[in-house]
This record gives sequence, C-alpha cells and structure tokens, in this order.
Amino acid sequence: MLNKQEKITGWLLLIPALLILGLVFIYPIARAFYLSWFTENLGTQLQPVFAGLGNYQRMIGDGRFWQSIYNTSIFTVFSVVLELFLGLGVALVLNKSFFGRGIVRTISIIPWALPTAVMGLAWAWIFNDQYGVVNDILSRLGLIDTGINWLGTPALAMIALIVADVWKTTPFISIILLAGLQSISEDLYEAHRMDGATPLQSFYQITLPLLMPQILIALLFRFAQSFGVFDLVQVMTGGGPAGTTETVSIYIYSTIMRYLDFGYGAALVVVTFLLLIAAVGITSLMLKKVRA
Amino acid sequence: MFISDLFIAFIKYSFKLIKSNGWLIGLLTVLVIVFQGLILPAQTQQPVTIKTLVRADEAQQLQPLVTKFNQQHSDIRFQIVEAPSDSNQVEDLYTSSFLLGNSPYDLIYMDIVWTPKFAAAGWLEDVSDRLSDTEAQQYLEGDIAGGMYENKLYRIPFRSDAGMLYYRQDLLEEAGYEPPETFKELLEISQDLQKQGLIEWGYVWQGKQYEGLAAMFVEVLQGSGAFWVNPDTLEVGLDRPEAIEAVEFLRQAIATKVSPPGVTTYAEEEARLLFQNGKAAFLRNWPYVYSLALESPIAGKYSIKPMVHSVGQNSGACLGGWGIGIAKNTKHPDAAWEVIKFLSSEESQREFILETGFVPSRTALFNDQAIVAKYNYYPKLLDVVQSSALRPPISQYAQTSDILQRYLSAAITGKMTPEKAMQAAAKETRNLLKG
Repeated sequence: MLNKQEKITGWLLLIPALLILGLVFIYPIARAFYLSWFTENLGTQLQPVFAGLGNYQRMIGDGRFWQSIYNTSIFTVFSVVLELFLGLGVALVLNKSFFGRGIVRTISIIPWALPTAVMGLAWAWIFNDQYGVVNDILSRLGLIDTGINWLGTPALAMIALIVADVWKTTPFISIILLAGLQSISEDLYEAHRMDGATPLQSFYQITLPLLMPQILIALLFRFAQSFGVFDLVQVMTGGGPAGTTETVSIYIYSTIMRYLDFGYGAALVVVTFLLLIAAVGITSLMLKKVRA
Repeated sequence: MFISDLFIAFIKYSFKLIKSNGWLIGLLTVLVIVFQGLILPAQTQQPVTIKTLVRADEAQQLQPLVTKFNQQHSDIRFQIVEAPSDSNQVEDLYTSSFLLGNSPYDLIYMDIVWTPKFAAAGWLEDVSDRLSDTEAQQYLEGDIAGGMYENKLYRIPFRSDAGMLYYRQDLLEEAGYEPPETFKELLEISQDLQKQGLIEWGYVWQGKQYEGLAAMFVEVLQGSGAFWVNPDTLEVGLDRPEAIEAVEFLRQAIATKVSPPGVTTYAEEEARLLFQNGKAAFLRNWPYVYSLALESPIAGKYSIKPMVHSVGQNSGACLGGWGIGIAKNTKHPDAAWEVIKFLSSEESQREFILETGFVPSRTALFNDQAIVAKYNYYPKLLDVVQSSALRPPISQYAQTSDILQRYLSAAITGKMTPEKAMQAAAKETRNLLKG
C-alpha cells in the first residue's frame, strides 16, 4: 500500500502528462462537441447562433456526407484487407533466411518511408491516360487500344487509389507481422512436424493463432489511418471524378477551411469520430472472438 | 541504431565543446546582450512594414517592383512573404491567419473568387472611397465588378486573366476553314480535321473536378445564353434548358471523340501540353499559354479568339486574375493603400507585364506602344477580356462551385445524364443559398 505522502507525490508527477493530454486531446474534442451545437458560418453570418441539433439534422439529408462515408468505407475495407493478405505474405517470405535478406528487408520498407504526397504524384502519373505506365503496359500486352482514363472514370479512380495505398502501406503491416513471426519459437514447429503435421497445418495451427495479437494491432492502426485518408486522395484525384473519391476528411476540410462553416464542420467531425470508434470497437470484438 | 549512435555522439561532442570553450560561450552571450541593448533600439524608429503573402513564383516576379517601392518610400517598407505555388494553399494560409485573429498580413494579394468570401467574413477593408470613379473606369469593367461585394469595393485589380480559345491557324487554312464561331462549328471542324488525319484530337479543355472546371463551364454557360447564379437575387439557372444544352456540348465533344476521353482529368497544364505538342487543334486556356507555346513545335501556327457560343449568343471569357485588398486588422491602412497605389499604377503594371507577359487590368495598356511592341497579340486580347463572364460573386461561392463541379463531372464522365445532373446541382445550390 502507498502511504498518503507517496500518493500525493504520485499525483504531482502525473500532472504534467495529464495537462498535456488535456490540452492536445480532451480540449479539442470537447470544443468540437460544443461547436457542433451552433450555426457558425462566416459565409452567411458573423455571430454564432445556437442551433441545437440543427447541424445533425442537416447531416441526415446531406447526400454528399453519406457518399463520402461510403467512399471512405470502400477505400478502407479494400485497402486494409488487401494490405493484410499481401503484408502477411511478404512477412512470411522475409522471415525465411535466404541470400540478401537484409537488403530485401530494407528495400521493402521504402514505400512506407516515402512521403505520401510525393508518391501520390508519382502514382497520378503512373495512371495518366496519355503518358501513364499502366496504360503503356496494357497496350503493349495488346489488352487495350486506347488509353484507359483511370483517374477520370468514377469506378476506376477508386481502384487506382486503393492500388496506390496498398503499395505504400503493405510494408507497414509486413514489418509488424515480421516482428510477431520472429517471436514464435522454432521448437513449436519442430514438435508439430514430429507429430506429422504438414506445413500448411502448422501455418493454420501455430503461425496464425500466435500471430493474432500482431494482426489485430496492424488492423486497428491501418483501419484508423485509412479512415482518415486525406493526402493521397487530395494529390491524386482531389475527390473527383463526380465526387466518387471524396473521403470524409476531404469533405470536412472543405467545410471548415473553404466554406468557413465551422458549426457544421464540427458536427461532421463528431459523427465521423463516433462512427470510427464504433467500427474499431466492433472489429476488435470480432477478432477477439476469432482468437477465442 | 546507426543513426541514433551518430546522434548521441553529436550531443556528447557538443557538450564537450561547451565545457572546454566556456570563455567563448561567455563572450558570445555578452555580444548578444550588447547587440540587443545598442543596436535594436536604433531600429525602433524604423519605417512601418507592410506585409503581404504571394505565391512563390509570382513573389519572385514582383521583387523588382518591391525594391523600387522601397527606394522611393523611406517611411514604408514593403515586404512580400513567399507562399506555396498552389493558389488553394495560399487561400488556406490567408484564411487560417485571419481565423487566428492577429494576421501578420496588411495586404491581401487575392484571386478574384476569394473576394466575396473574405469580404463577407469581415476580413477586408472597404476601399470604395479610396478609388474615384474616374480612376475605376480605367480598369476593365469585369475586374472592378469582381472586386465588389454588396456594392462595396474590396479589391483593386492588379493583373487580369481570362479564358479563351486557342486554334491552329495552319490546320484551318489547310482545310479551308474560318475559325469557328459556334459550338457546332467547333465540333464539325474538329471532326473533319481528325478524319483528314491532320490532327489526333480536336478540342482539349479542363474537365477535371476542380475550380478550373467551373471557370471553363462559365464560358460555355454564357455562350449558351444560360446563367449559373444571379448574385443579386440568388436565383439558380443550372436546370434551365439552355444550361443543360451547355453540358450537352461538352458531352458531345467527348462522345464524338473530338476531345480525348482523358479530358475529364485534365487541368490547365495537361491540356496545354497536348495542344503545344501538336496533338490537338483547339484549346481552351488562359493567356499564359500564348507565350509558352512560342517556344514549342507549334510556334507561329496558332492564334487566339474569344470562346465559341451558340447561334445568336455572345462569347464569354471567364475572368480570373489577381488584385490587392487591405486587411481589416492592419495597423497601417494608409501605408497599405500607398503600396496598392504604387503597384496598380500604369507605370508599375507596364513594367510588370513587359517582364512577365501577364494580362494588364488597365484597359489602356492593351494598346500601349511598349507592350504591343513586345506582345503584338494584346489588342486582340482586349476583345477577349472585354467579353468577360464572372463566376458568381457570392460569399458562399466555394461551396456553390463544389456542387457544380461534382455534378458537372458526373455528367461529363457519363455517371449521370446532363439533365439529371444539372437538376440535382440546381436543387442542391438552391438549398445551400436559401439556408
């Protein structure tokens, strides 16, 4: 048991951390909640007016908001799932010892280390309809006659974004999973092999269950990150064509920074925040069940 | 691990330096104190500083004028802060500096479409009384109109900009055509030139979902006798038959392969490169292309004219361009006005235009001897600029424009029919402006 003196010292030592936490997390969140109850739009009036649930009601009928939620969900689900499978594959390869493994490991992180805006520009050129590499390869293979307009066609633009994102963040997942793989003892596999298990069986019965904590962490990180994707979309499509790649972050940015509609922007932030927390909660519950 | 080792070694070394050179540190400290005590007070009688934020490339181009101003004025120091090259980012920087309250900028160097928003937010000083009517009449009419919000002037035009049609004179002559006047002629001539194998594509323009799409469309709207939003009554005209016809023209251009399918992703530069590399017969773009194309494979083979239109209608040239306003919170509005007066003077504009090839905002300069001697097409440019079309000067322009961009993009990419798209856009715009 701590005596009183020790307890006080303990709290005193915690104060700086609590202050910082309050300043950078709790205050902004509380402020966004508070603002979301007001109509505050510098384009229409200068004084904020209490609006009650007005901003939330407006959101229900705001097709652009729901489309951005839909776009973001599609982007998140496809990119995270693809990254997970590819990342697992890469991690398994990198975990085997082969000649030049150190170099390969280093190279494999490069996409993750590149600034997103830079690699976004590069991908925009790769998918360019006249000069792009993708169309060049496809036409050399004889698959297409005229260049496909990747970034200008509603369904294809999202695919292009997902491809770029998968390229960039697969290394992140594979590094996390690689760390997990290295912590699994070789003895387990050996014992399993003695019992007559095939490699595939050991993968399902040893690797996968023991890797679950790392998979969970990687999933949660990536989920939260890609739900908030901004830079990649801003650079590659700017939300177009026809708003089919506009993500929630881009919509919120426009509402606040360009339309100066702070009240509604705050309400968008609050709802997105709650949706994200719910989604992350459900995912982790589901994964825990799978583990159990 | 390697990098962190280096870092630690560096810190250790720094400590060692401080330890062994204690006297040096002491001397430096004394010097700093002496400097602050003696030299800084002398500078407090310095002239007032007027600051503004300008896109990096343009800030460079303005530098000679800044130097000249500072030589002529001992009581004012004019200073330009360099911003990123993307004008959206400059807008964001201005916006956040005003939102935070104490903006460091006395002057706002702004794009024409920012004016109503900034004025409505109360960030701009009313300069109506500072500019007399006779002075105002020396500028292009559209440029002054674009600086107004609720009948007050907030922005003095510095350089103008307007959309126009570039065409390949050599190809038209070869095929025996006059430059097109109507939308229909543009499509027909393009198809014929393409059929004859003279050119790969007919007409290139800005079809990407961004502000340039709205700027381009304003011209097609005006040319079809339609309108977007009436700034006085806030009436929305996007779902009228003439407006739908305007979209139909763009759809037609893509459907008949006059425009490449990728046109729906093009901004100014993509379109310019195609035209400049001799791959397209017609181009919608801003005046900057003219001087750049002079050093390209099509040099001497192209010309400009006002945008095409429907039979019985007139051309519209979307007005762009930059002007200067005074920030509401500046402590030196009069000094700031001095800077504006200097920059917008005929002399400064002439110097700037001769140096950069931008478009003047003063009508007289289009026929100015020195300017015509260097750019012989400027008298022709005056025709283009005078048939100007404004994007609606309303405070909620950014949002209004985004709505149009989304639905127009949906229409030209075939996601929605022109009719459905424009109806939805009109409905959403009405909701926004009503609320």
